[in-house]
Amino acid sequence: MLRMRSLLPPLLFTLAYAVVSLGVTNSYYQLILTLVPVWAVFGLSWNLLSGYTGLISFGHAAFFGIGAYATALGQIYFDISPWLLIPVAAMLGGIAGLLIGFPTFRLQGHYFALAMLAYPLAILYVFEWLGFQEVTLPIKRDAPIAYMQFADPRFYTLLGLAIMLATIVLTQMIERSRFGMALLAIKQNEAAAEAAGINTLAWKLRAITLSGAIAAAIGGFYAQVLLVVTPQSVFGMLVSAQALTVAMFGGVGTVWGPVIGSVILIPLAEILHAEAGARIPGIQGVIFGIAIVCVILMAPEGLFWKLRDLVRKRSAKATTDVPPEAAAANVTTLKPAARQRAAKGEVMLEVKNLSRSFGGLKAVQDVSFKLHKNEILGIIGPNGAGKTTLFNLLNGFLKPSQGEVLIDGRNMSGQRPHVICEAGIGRTFQVMRPFLRMSILDNVVVGAYVRARSDDEARKMAADAVVRVGLSAVADRVAGELSTKELRLMELARAIAGQPRILLLDETLAGLGHGEADEVVAVIQQLARDGMTIAIIEHTMQAMVRLVDSFLVLDHGAVITEGLPEVVTRDSRVIEAYLGKKWVGHAAN
Amino acid sequence: MLRIEGLSAGYSAKPVLNDVSIDVGAGQFVAIVGPNGAGKTTLFKTISGIVKPSGGTIIFDGVDLLAVPPPQRAHLGIAHVPEGRQVFPSLTVMENLEMGAMTESGRRDWQANIERIFEWLPVLKERRNQFAGTMSGGQQQMLAIGRGLASSPKLLMLDEPSMGLAPSTADFIFERLIEIRRQSGLTMLLVEQRVAEALESADHGYVLEAGHVVLQGNNATLRADDRVRKAYLGM
Repeated sequence: MLRMRSLLPPLLFTLAYAVVSLGVTNSYYQLILTLVPVWAVFGLSWNLLSGYTGLISFGHAAFFGIGAYATALGQIYFDISPWLLIPVAAMLGGIAGLLIGFPTFRLQGHYFALAMLAYPLAILYVFEWLGFQEVTLPIKRDAPIAYMQFADPRFYTLLGLAIMLATIVLTQMIERSRFGMALLAIKQNEAAAEAAGINTLAWKLRAITLSGAIAAAIGGFYAQVLLVVTPQSVFGMLVSAQALTVAMFGGVGTVWGPVIGSVILIPLAEILHAEAGARIPGIQGVIFGIAIVCVILMAPEGLFWKLRDLVRKRSAKATTDVPPEAAAANVTTLKPAARQRAAKGEVMLEVKNLSRSFGGLKAVQDVSFKLHKNEILGIIGPNGAGKTTLFNLLNGFLKPSQGEVLIDGRNMSGQRPHVICEAGIGRTFQVMRPFLRMSILDNVVVGAYVRARSDDEARKMAADAVVRVGLSAVADRVAGELSTKELRLMELARAIAGQPRILLLDETLAGLGHGEADEVVAVIQQLARDGMTIAIIEHTMQAMVRLVDSFLVLDHGAVITEGLPEVVTRDSRVIEAYLGKKWVGHAAN
Repeated sequence: MLRIEGLSAGYSAKPVLNDVSIDVGAGQFVAIVGPNGAGKTTLFKTISGIVKPSGGTIIFDGVDLLAVPPPQRAHLGIAHVPEGRQVFPSLTVMENLEMGAMTESGRRDWQANIERIFEWLPVLKERRNQFAGTMSGGQQQMLAIGRGLASSPKLLMLDEPSMGLAPSTADFIFERLIEIRRQSGLTMLLVEQRVAEALESADHGYVLEAGHVVLQGNNATLRADDRVRKAYLGM
């Protein structure tokens, strides 16, 4: 059902575009109409990597050019038809993506963007040295159709549209699948994505391979349309920039962004070139540049998102949506219960002599403890005591210098985070990084893929997790509209969606008011009753003493003491190092 | 010192502050407490000029603050110690403090200020050449306070200085604030979620809920108030 509904808009758009283009007879306008889908597809290929993962590529011309030259040279030297060469070009582009991605994904942020810039520039000079300054495709008068050489340029437009439609549908499929979710998760927080069980390197490589393949295919088609290829026209800076321009103008991270950008910008640039440029040479660039700057200033995320926000606001006003209080009232809020200590079950997690130092600093030294089934263990200690470092060692963000982390008796220390997540450890983070534009449910789905075999199963598991944290009434709201408490609960839902057996919670109550903290505490208690084993770091001691079964107290990276809450909170070393005398006074009240 | 009258503010269509009036006398230590989303941080942002109000006035030291462009406001003597500390991680402690002394009065009184800051917060002196990012949360909070003091402010605004700190560290921070005020007579405006500690430290308090001031009074009255005891002190 869903698939059919999302198929309709691109299909209608393509049909309408085809009808319009068939009516155009001026060959110059026909060329413009062909270039629109070409750059739209190129923008889509860029969007697939950079829009969804947030790793900006300044060098997509590398793939485009490889495709163009493969198509041109294949015809010249081997007399192969472009019908065959374009798929071959796509394969070469995919391989190039893999080869480029493997070393380059070590870099992040600006460094990744700059490294990507280098590839097309380097290849450009290689092709110049090889003597391919200007390659003209051979004209095949005897079998034009077999060599994709049409007398009527409108066929090129139709072919370009077909490629565009295929790319849009492919992108839409990816968007809704585990692939798209993984890429979005990487964009928001790569570390959190790893912790949610996503093998980030593998997904990024898949994205750049596919992106490179699409870019190379459309590069090959571009060569076929223009019948001439030069290094500058396919490997040049402006080509890479074109992908960014159409995608950013139209909207990054959405299938419609590059299409909108291309439909508006390409004809605008060409017409300016022909009309204004004829009178004052060069003025077209100035007008074009100003137009882009204006749109970016008014809609920094691109036209698509701006329009969607406007539509949302209007429809929100029209329906005078349910006030959050009313929605919240539908949720039966759990009340924190008196602690009923569970009988000590089997050992779920055993930490043996775990140590980690940074330079000379011993952040965690010789920490050992056991976590039993259904237990809630509170980890407390002063700031800088090594609590978060301990969590990072447990879930694989950091490799221990020494010691073992045994899950079900198997030593998992030193494994990658997504492997440890698969073994059954989920976690949340001090700093929340929700996907603000996505609904609660979509946010939570990311965490479910580690266990789910299909997209449907993942959605079902996510919905289940949302119910368990008590957010089902607001599951369709966009995360950007949520309160801190709801965001914390959503993070919790994401962590439990993958059905971990052990949950590591890092300051889940931070920034919450008194009553709010109680609600979250109640949810955590319920999770423990349902069979989850939990370790929680938290400073809100009032809530902690009611929540946990036992405490582990760290100071300077080492365990000071561990034991029952009422014993630990009276321990003079704990009061000295952590609680302070005042707290003891408050607690007495 | 600071008089806020009928202040309303919000983001696009969503009002966050609604007709809020707050008075901070010279030398007073005023705490604003309330649950998440009550508008505490927005109030601070409106005072420092990050958020534009839709109505009301703010008079600081006899000057209509809303007529002063935001970057100039720090020069009037308002220091904002932001939520989450926001120290410059790759600068040393000393450099962070120097960044605080960018105001005219801060540059003029630098020598005297730095001595007093080191006296009040000795850990900063000990670690003056350490990179701020490598310090613990409590130390970073002290640095953020020191940076605020380095501008020679007339009003020190503190946004949740206890956030994410161990109980004993938070206690220590509040202790230091009380001590700094006792010695300097500095006017302080504090926003806190740790209601008990905040009301203990300050001499006057406001309870902000859903953008409205619902309760105000001196610290003894507030701490004795049934609603405060129930909703915030958990008694």
